[in-house]
Amino acid sequence: MSASATSATLSRRARTPIFLLLVVGVVTVLYPIVFLLTSAFRSNADYLQNPYGLPGELTFRNFVVLWNSYGVGQAVMNSLTVVLIALVVELALAILAGYALAKYDVPGAKLFRAGFVSVMLIPSQVLIIPIYLLLSRLNLVGEFAGLILVYIATGLSFATFFLSLTFRGVPTELLEAARIDGAGFFRTLRSVAAPVGASGIATLAVLQFLAMWNELLFAYILLPDDDKTMLTPALAQIGGRYLSDQPLVSAGLLITALPPLLLLTFASRYVMQGLAAGVVR
Amino acid sequence: MGILAVREGGDVAAVTSPPSERQSRLARRGRMIGLAAVLPAFLVVVGFMIYPVLFALYISFNDSNGLRFDWVGLANYLDILADPQVHQIFITNLKFLISVPLVIFAALVVSILLFERIRGWRAFRVLFFLPNVLSAAVIGIMFKSVFGYNGPFMAALEALGGERIDPFVDGNLAIAVIVLALVWSGFGYQSLLLLSGLTAIDPAVFEAAALDGAGWWTRLWHITLPNIRRVLGFVFIINVLYTFSSLFGFVFVMTAGGPGFETTTLDYLVYLRAFSTSNLGSGAALAVLLFMFIGLLTLVQARFFKLSEDD
Repeated sequence: MSASATSATLSRRARTPIFLLLVVGVVTVLYPIVFLLTSAFRSNADYLQNPYGLPGELTFRNFVVLWNSYGVGQAVMNSLTVVLIALVVELALAILAGYALAKYDVPGAKLFRAGFVSVMLIPSQVLIIPIYLLLSRLNLVGEFAGLILVYIATGLSFATFFLSLTFRGVPTELLEAARIDGAGFFRTLRSVAAPVGASGIATLAVLQFLAMWNELLFAYILLPDDDKTMLTPALAQIGGRYLSDQPLVSAGLLITALPPLLLLTFASRYVMQGLAAGVVR
Repeated sequence: MGILAVREGGDVAAVTSPPSERQSRLARRGRMIGLAAVLPAFLVVVGFMIYPVLFALYISFNDSNGLRFDWVGLANYLDILADPQVHQIFITNLKFLISVPLVIFAALVVSILLFERIRGWRAFRVLFFLPNVLSAAVIGIMFKSVFGYNGPFMAALEALGGERIDPFVDGNLAIAVIVLALVWSGFGYQSLLLLSGLTAIDPAVFEAAALDGAGWWTRLWHITLPNIRRVLGFVFIINVLYTFSSLFGFVFVMTAGGPGFETTTLDYLVYLRAFSTSNLGSGAALAVLLFMFIGLLTLVQARFFKLSEDD
């Protein structure tokens, strides 16, 4: 029995109850999600009759109402804009810096590394007051650019650290060969280092997307205007104000949770790899 | 320089064993290019991370409304340390520590079960990880919905003959719901951390013990758990960290710190002080104190679990 090669030290008889126990665990994890799925497509009247049962009728009305009348459509666009711009800029900066730190003899590399590592663990509570003041002096409070800057800055040190580890794994001989053929910094990066480190870059991109998409505090305080609000704070407002209309709130939660859930479904490999990186972090 | 560079992980530009002028020029060029590549990222970090932290320190020594800064020395710190409201909120924060053993227990059980390579364990792994990709805001509102007065939990309770209550009007019940949300959202990730620790154990140890006739529970107690105590220590530390630094999202969407201040945590108080009082210095001082407290706590725990020792 090859399955026992790993650890299968339990008797076969014991494995069925364990399987069932894990199924119970999964049901516990999935229940709130299933609750959202069922309640989001119901009318409020139908929901109030039987909150935990199955819906009597299905409707998309909640989504339409949220999208058109509660500014959720605008908020989705705002979130996508901010997160994608911040992600692209952050990755570009981190790829350059990470590659240089991994493969070039950068003067003062120790200082740079120490700088990046030392800010990695700073909690956002310490940053909210000074960053708010700093951005309001730059007239960037209430502007997408302010939040984009903050997202880039708060993620950048981890991203650089992570990518310098990724690029360190690229064989130096490959880079040497490209250099002998006359390739410079950008050429070796683009045609050798980036392709070899692609999985690491993708992992980082997924991790950072999740972090930015889910962020609440800075999104809430830095973009106070309704027409520029991000999705997560918009959802927090809806959840606070309209809790008597549970289907509406559920629909909002589903919209907010959809991109992360899609990532977990279709890029679970990268999400899981990012997890391993979390241990390093 | 060449030796150093190679030791640093194989530098491209400075592998210069036969020193010729052309190569040293190339090496210098490589160093400059490397510097130019690191600088943009570093400047962003300096401008929007390092400078703000120093600025926060400066603000904390001032009485400030954001425009005027009046130097008051340590007054903000002394006020916070003597503030009965802060004491009360610190105690509230300690209540959230109940989540630590709960999360670790759940994570430990799941990781050991997954370690047995039960059918479909990969799918289980992904499913247990699901809460970790969701925003604290989503999870918080979800739990508020499920456990709220009109939610399915209370409806089911009523159907079973109980009485509907609103847990969010009682501080301790509200904390219990937040703790549940913490456990629900945290145990999957941490069971994976523990699983990676379990996977690192040499299988030969288990086989030898099994040959000696040690039963499953004996092996669990004498081999499995001692072998993952470092990972366990790490998981313990990050959970304690979470309870002091990562509750903002949950508190913000579930209770807004209420009823009264009964579910206000230290990290939520920083936010309250920052945006609802006239003295930013007090908020900054509280943030700095919290940061220092977390740092100290982490160091003490790391020493307690001997995380730095290679054993």
